[in-house]
Amino acid sequence: MSSVTEMPVSAAAATRPLPKRRGRSNNRPLLLLLLGPAAVLIVLFIVGPALYGMYLSFTNTQLTGFAARDPKFVGLDNYVYLLNNADFLGSLGHTGEFVLYSAIIGQTVLGMLAAILLSRPWMRGKGIIGAAVLMPMIVPEVVASLTWASVLSNNSSGTLNQLTGIFGVPPTAWLQVVPMASIIVVNIWRGIAFAMIMFQAALEDVPVELIEAARIDGARAMQVFRHVTLPLIRGPVFLYLLLTTISTVGAFGLVYFLTQGGPGGQTQLAAIYIYERALQFSQVGIGSAASMILLVIVLVLGSVYLRLAKVEV
Amino acid sequence: MKRTRARAALAATLVVAGGLTACSTASSTTDGTVTISIVEFQKSRIDSIKKVLPGFEAEMKKQGKDIKVTLVADVLTDDQFKTKLTQQLIAGEAPDVIDMGDSLVPGFAGAGYLTPLDDYLNEWDGWDHYFPQFKEAMVRQDGHIYALVHDTQVQNLFYRKDILTELGVDTSQPDTWEDLIARLVTLKEKTGGTPIVVPAGSAWGGSTWTEGFLPILGGTDTDFYSLETGKWDLESDGWAAVFDLYGELYAKDLLPVQDLENPNPWEPTKYVKFPAGEIQVAAQGTSGWKFDWGTNGAAPIPELETKVDTWQYPALQSGDKPFGWSGLGSSFAIPEKSQHKDEAMLLAQYLSSGEPLAEQLVTSGAASPRDDLADVKPYADEPKLLQAGEDLATSVYVPTGDGSEQIAQAVASATELIISGEADGAQAYAAFVEDATDLLGPNLVK
Repeated sequence: MSSVTEMPVSAAAATRPLPKRRGRSNNRPLLLLLLGPAAVLIVLFIVGPALYGMYLSFTNTQLTGFAARDPKFVGLDNYVYLLNNADFLGSLGHTGEFVLYSAIIGQTVLGMLAAILLSRPWMRGKGIIGAAVLMPMIVPEVVASLTWASVLSNNSSGTLNQLTGIFGVPPTAWLQVVPMASIIVVNIWRGIAFAMIMFQAALEDVPVELIEAARIDGARAMQVFRHVTLPLIRGPVFLYLLLTTISTVGAFGLVYFLTQGGPGGQTQLAAIYIYERALQFSQVGIGSAASMILLVIVLVLGSVYLRLAKVEV
Repeated sequence: MKRTRARAALAATLVVAGGLTACSTASSTTDGTVTISIVEFQKSRIDSIKKVLPGFEAEMKKQGKDIKVTLVADVLTDDQFKTKLTQQLIAGEAPDVIDMGDSLVPGFAGAGYLTPLDDYLNEWDGWDHYFPQFKEAMVRQDGHIYALVHDTQVQNLFYRKDILTELGVDTSQPDTWEDLIARLVTLKEKTGGTPIVVPAGSAWGGSTWTEGFLPILGGTDTDFYSLETGKWDLESDGWAAVFDLYGELYAKDLLPVQDLENPNPWEPTKYVKFPAGEIQVAAQGTSGWKFDWGTNGAAPIPELETKVDTWQYPALQSGDKPFGWSGLGSSFAIPEKSQHKDEAMLLAQYLSSGEPLAEQLVTSGAASPRDDLADVKPYADEPKLLQAGEDLATSVYVPTGDGSEQIAQAVASATELIISGEADGAQAYAAFVEDATDLLGPNLVK
């Protein structure tokens, strides 16, 4: 089975030379009008705070105590402190584990499976299955958190404990006994719908004739997927990986509600560490430095994904 | 062309300006009426304040002042309240009167967010009725008072007298922790459970320090902090002794470790297992009689006063004596950026006097910091609270200042190491010293 290197029609169209733009200068006022407000808001609420956060990361700014009155420039002290701090490094490790298992493996694999199944013509009940998969994405985060708090509750009335109780298993405090596995499952549940939607759209772009040709050549379903479908949807897959990695690295609400980073810091993700440092312990300088380190990590990961997405098959 | 650009820029500016305007808040003053606000974050306090606010407005009216009060009822945990309040104080959006736990005052006062109340208090006749030890304890390290204490607590060990009696375990005051631990071991053998809860670990937040570690430390060592120099002595002998105690309680399997690591550890321990008699001893303030286990409390225990009694903390080191820990409880503070400080202080004074204060004390289960409340109903009808008020005179208290939040954080992390089995007492103490030194910085460590 040889690899297929042809691009999908849409991708090929995207690489054609663009016609010479006419009246470009005439569009400028319109562009300014349309993009101006968004640009101003982005500068005010994203770029500005990010730059201010960078400035804070070089200071010993605190929110409470006498030190709050007179913040001082401390150079790289906060960064040195964090890179030697076991709690912070541990939180990065937990974040990596969380992203790997919940986003990169869990959501991507299950989202792909759901998309493939729903794209099969023989599949019955697509509407119900699609709605069931979409439901976790559309419920508000607080509702999702409450739902899982109830499912994983440590007393005998917890949904999971009721299920395991049928088999005579005594009630288990899931969020304390297997906290990381619990939040990974919850995050997979939460994110699978977005993966499914993205992959469904990508699969629709795969030319049917290529798949039929591969089948005529004797390729089995897995071979068709591995050597025809997957290379053709590589772009959307890496785009999804990029988006889910960014959002999962910053995951906070769902995990904080369920475990608050515990027990014993076992689910203390970097975002929770930053929240605790900056807002609970009032050490905004250190919290900002931790945010900057996390930003750099996300940027590096993003660059890797973008590079991988462009690799020729 | 230029005109079109200018229009586009104007449109963008208007959009942004409109958005920002929508975010701003309106003034609270209208036609001679001054509207002030007060924030409460505990359900019981919200209910009791609601009852007394109309009386304040009527009283002000009598005095020719038109003051309206808005109650900001925000039911939150201690940590959530602190986080939210910090943002409000920085932004200048905090309510005019803040009812907060005294442990928050040093940090906010140090940062300059609160108004010094000295002048107001010196002119107020109610100030003469405050017990001298509280007047002294309210003074912060820069010599000013920033918050008016209105309720106080005596922190003791509450125990299930009914269960201990039934199991044949001695209920007299234990003189030393050694005595108490022997009884706890007996209880463990007879029930198979973990008999004592003392706040520990990260999940309990700041209370691991204020309700767990600090009372035991303060009873054995008063030199760990100097109000005079504003420095923490991390080598003072009490620290290691208390960490060793925590280590011993863990090693003998006497603490409900899994419950302490619950995100809301007070629920399975104080609100479920203690009322059910599965935990028999709990470190607890006076509020246990009302706020926690009273008839209208979070987890009522029927016939509370016959089933539950208190011990003082036993002596930890040689030469110590059993003691109760005096906590300052809650206090009213006024933000430095409040536009209505005078009116806010009138409200704080009203709520800290007579029947309004008596009503709040009974609801929250606290003792009075004043000497003229013993005959004021409904407080006068509460023997346990009156007794706590008397006990305050002999209770131990060590005022602390700047850096207490960092110490709380380091103690939480170090005790977390103990309850997760990663360190014994000595190792946890070493980790604490390293962490606290880092967090406090050179200016706050002796």
